[in-house]
Amino acid sequence: MAELKLLFKHAHDEAYRTLDGYLANGGYVALDRALGMERQQIIDEVKASGLRGRGGAGFPTWIKWNGLAKDKVKRHYVVCNADEGEPGTFKDKQLMEETPFLLIEGMTLAGLATQGDAGYIYIRGEFVDAAKALRSAIDEAYARGYLGPNIRGSGKSFDLYIHMGAGSYECGEESALMSSLMGERGMPRLKFPHAPLPTVEGLWDSPTLINNVETYCCAPFIIEKGGEWYATLGASTKNSRGTKIFSVSGHVNNPGNFEIEFGTTLSELLEMSGGIKGGKLKACVPGGSSVPIINAEAVEKAVIGYEEMADVQSMVGSGGCMFLNDQTCIVKFIWRTALFYANESCGKCTPCREGTKWMLQILERIVAGNGQPGDMELLLDITKQIDGRSFCGLGDAAAWPVAAALRVFPEEFEYYIQHGRSMVESELQLTPS
Amino acid sequence: MSELLQLGRQNPRPHAPKPEDLSLRFGPNAIEELTNLQAHYPDKKSCILPGLWIAQREYGGTLTGDAIAEVAFRLERSYVEVEGVATFYSMYNTNHAVGKHMIEVCTCLTCQVCGAYPIGEYLKKQLGVDYGETTPDGVFTLHEVECLNACDRAPLLQVGDQYHGPVDTAYVDRLLNDLRAQESSSVVQLADSIVQVHLANFEKAGSPKPSRPTPAPQTESRSRVKVDDSA
Repeated sequence: MAELKLLFKHAHDEAYRTLDGYLANGGYVALDRALGMERQQIIDEVKASGLRGRGGAGFPTWIKWNGLAKDKVKRHYVVCNADEGEPGTFKDKQLMEETPFLLIEGMTLAGLATQGDAGYIYIRGEFVDAAKALRSAIDEAYARGYLGPNIRGSGKSFDLYIHMGAGSYECGEESALMSSLMGERGMPRLKFPHAPLPTVEGLWDSPTLINNVETYCCAPFIIEKGGEWYATLGASTKNSRGTKIFSVSGHVNNPGNFEIEFGTTLSELLEMSGGIKGGKLKACVPGGSSVPIINAEAVEKAVIGYEEMADVQSMVGSGGCMFLNDQTCIVKFIWRTALFYANESCGKCTPCREGTKWMLQILERIVAGNGQPGDMELLLDITKQIDGRSFCGLGDAAAWPVAAALRVFPEEFEYYIQHGRSMVESELQLTPS
Repeated sequence: MSELLQLGRQNPRPHAPKPEDLSLRFGPNAIEELTNLQAHYPDKKSCILPGLWIAQREYGGTLTGDAIAEVAFRLERSYVEVEGVATFYSMYNTNHAVGKHMIEVCTCLTCQVCGAYPIGEYLKKQLGVDYGETTPDGVFTLHEVECLNACDRAPLLQVGDQYHGPVDTAYVDRLLNDLRAQESSSVVQLADSIVQVHLANFEKAGSPKPSRPTPAPQTESRSRVKVDDSA
């Protein structure tokens, strides 16, 4: 299958970043439609669409939307997770910079469906361009009555604010994001079933809806064209509907964001991005650094879909697809992955704080040529001690790539430990000298 | 190789000023911004992050103990609470002086496999400093950072609020020359928090609208940014 541009249809059109250009290209049709609908009808459309969270976990979106109290007692908040930090992913950045009104409309729809009073867009601190684009879009929407106390004369209100992060991968985790928004260190909180869901008690103990940028951007299309129409996209897959944006990077000729329909194969995605450069395809990390790495054979077989990717023992994740050529030493690549998680672990819980550092130390000594027999077993053992035992998903995400690399490329680790040098002889410098 | 564990920005503990030594440096614009920001949130605590951004700008790119104390004072929070927040986040430069320009080299996964380590070493050699250090003339501070999420442009550098990529050594040479010739500092650009301030608040309060920075011309991320040879 080829690219299917839904969210990105007008992405390269400068005018689309202004309200007039957005309106001229079908913008805010969904909002007008939603203003005439019951709250539950909006949620039902989202349910019919089969939309699942695009941030990485793939949780059905309608369950979140449906989870906020129907009888409103407190303020309801709608939060957009724009703290895009997963290595390899850059789709939210482009969406915010080039289609800011899609996000604003999507969040407004979520506000209507959940009786939200105010929305916050939590943007990572580095994305100044995205924040500026959204800032001017929000100002314009306020000035023309698409946001504020009386949206389109309906008497319904929705305020939207921008909150800038300040550099922490951990804040992309929803409970840590809420902590950060409330002026604390970005550390995760206890989760369901040990604590209420954010939809019950979130920001300032009020019901809070949190979704990814891409998820909100899908909402206008679902409301405008109907959930059933949206569900026809990706119908060849088991349970993945609609389009997904993949950020392709690494050793490819034409890296960038590609919007595809679920059911497209991974090799088609590789073709869209111009094919591999500098050698033959060796490995792929299909959904951001957290997901298990797969080899070239698995790339041939992989069909993109939440369940389908499990067949090749990987995940869709956030869509940060990195292709690696045969000049890449997997041991060094995994060492850098471990370094990332060791640096970004917030330090709250022991399995993650200690485990990521231990994994890094072992990988460091292997990369330095001082690997010891039994290091592979030791690494695998540590991944099992972290996976499922940490406070939030960061621990799991740190363990999966290491465990997967040991499973998929054991010979490289064995060779490195035995000979004290990489099995791959190339000029590519992957470590500091 | 154990020094690799030291990667990333170290956030040393700032020194808290004594209450009698506290001097307030927020200008009228900053005070107004902070006041307006408080309308975004139900409590003052939530303003700590935006408040620290403003302070970093007002104090010239570094969050000194004084800067943190001023945020704490204006938001009626304790010093340690604000300090605890400030030292958690990597983009707050707590108590380490930064040069006029801060160059941040991404060496995370995609950049790693696209040759970021040689670029980092080239920068170190050209500037004569290591990561986390500032050149003696106070112009450049060099840092290594984790993924900046523009991996289609790997290897990537960040200077102020601008991304540069894909870079090679020739690009780095031109960039350093351009930055040396540039009069204004790019450090505080990044700390510009005006994007957070709500225009509607200004209208409500009847105060003049803040001048908004116009969105920078956006490069299509599909087409990788070409190095401008004329520069």
